[in-house]
Amino acid sequence: MIQFQQVSKRYRDKTALDNANFHLPRGAMAFLTGHSGAGKSTLLKLIMHMEQPTNGKVIVDQQDLSQLNRHQIAMHRRKIGLVFQNHQLLEDYTVYDNIALPLKVSGYNNRDAGRRVRAALDKVGLLDKERQFPEVLSTGEQQRIGIARAIVNKPRLILADEPTGNLDPKLSAEIMQLFEQFNQVGVSVLIASHDLALIEHMGHAKIQLNRGRLSGAFVGPN
Amino acid sequence: MTTQAQRSRPEQLGKRLLREHGEVAISSWLRLWRQPLTNLLTWLTLAIALALPGTLIIMLSQAQGLANQLHTSNQISVFLSLQASTAEGQALSQQWQVHGDIHKTTFIAANDALQQFSQASGLGDVLTSLTDNPLPATILLEPVSDDPEHIQQLVQQLRQAELVDQVLVDQLWLQRMHTLVNTSQMAILILSLMLALGVLLVMGNTIRLQLENRRAEILVIKLVGGTDAYLRRPFLYTAIWSGLLAGLMACSIMAAALAALAPPLGQLAASFSSDWQLSNLGVSEVLLTILGSCLLSCAASLLTVQRQMANIEP
Repeated sequence: MIQFQQVSKRYRDKTALDNANFHLPRGAMAFLTGHSGAGKSTLLKLIMHMEQPTNGKVIVDQQDLSQLNRHQIAMHRRKIGLVFQNHQLLEDYTVYDNIALPLKVSGYNNRDAGRRVRAALDKVGLLDKERQFPEVLSTGEQQRIGIARAIVNKPRLILADEPTGNLDPKLSAEIMQLFEQFNQVGVSVLIASHDLALIEHMGHAKIQLNRGRLSGAFVGPN
Repeated sequence: MTTQAQRSRPEQLGKRLLREHGEVAISSWLRLWRQPLTNLLTWLTLAIALALPGTLIIMLSQAQGLANQLHTSNQISVFLSLQASTAEGQALSQQWQVHGDIHKTTFIAANDALQQFSQASGLGDVLTSLTDNPLPATILLEPVSDDPEHIQQLVQQLRQAELVDQVLVDQLWLQRMHTLVNTSQMAILILSLMLALGVLLVMGNTIRLQLENRRAEILVIKLVGGTDAYLRRPFLYTAIWSGLLAGLMACSIMAAALAALAPPLGQLAASFSSDWQLSNLGVSEVLLTILGSCLLSCAASLLTVQRQMANIEP
């Protein structure tokens, strides 16, 4: 699903990723670990084509991202559900409109969008909140709305950047269980997190990132 | 699973675009009224910038009609030498009548000229005491062209003719009239261009502020795969609505200005013994103003979005 071939990403004063090789197979679930500032977000941004590598190739769903034009980049992003640490919900949109946004962008009509939004809300257990605005919800609920938005388009790949960063252990475990459920129906999942205790407990594959170097599961020689 | 996925696939492109444009048009319209005062001031600014050159252009194009009427007095007076007989004068007049550059000729015999002069001047007694008629026969010419250069050429030609003593034309007045019209046209063109630039800048700035206000939204839309066209659309419709409203306001301002100017200008024309009247906005002028306003706003919007959207990258 995701392939990094000798990918390096250098900023002016530091190297975020150094000659990284890894291959996350379709349908796999893995955690990306490393202390904060280790480059986890950079790696996710490369997959989203929010950043371009300095060297090497990023291939997602058999597409070399460096070959995409602006329109194809938009199409590429539609295949990926992205969950942020700070959920990135729009304050002046209702819960419903926030979740429906990826569908609107992809051209769904209101009827089909409504059906999918409610299915996604049902999945995260917040079906009764669709008319509310994000600011009246708890942090845990906001994060679940963020997840509902990420899955509403039925993506083949879910990327999550510290999705439990602001949550207590019980809520964190619930969120992680949600990701496991999506993985069980065939969605590839890659979660960047430094919550090592939780990751150990869950027992999925781990990719470590340390000073721009990758090690662990799915990682090729470099 | 598959059937449900198929059923909720995105619909046909044409139908989908139509629906999306309709939705964005409505939501952009509603968004305008969230800040009615700010937007009203923007529209008024645009309207004034449009109405000023608009009013001047309409006045000038109508004034050209007036100027053309006055041009009929581009009369050339050809005074024949005293030796020329009435028959010779008449022959010359008829000869010129068929000249390509001359619209019309009128022959005034020396005796008729004296008679007219004695009536107009009230010096009848003095004139009858003269033994010889001091006035020459005259041919009055109306040239085809209004152009001072053409008229000058014609005058040169006429001077060459036999029996011609003197050719008079109010050339200076003509030239002034033309220069005045040309200068006004150029001034209005420059003014229009400057104010069009003003419209572009005002609208561009409005759109830029909107983009800034919707930064978070734009970022999220980009991340969930919104295309450039999708992102551009609300700003394009904002510009269309603003252009439409500003255009309507500009028409109202122009109509009021023209209504106020019509009576004094009518009096001015009457003093030139013309029945010319300044008429108010016509349908085509209203439509052109609104179209121009919308086009300028859209251009401003597209240019701004093109430039600013690239700065908002996730």
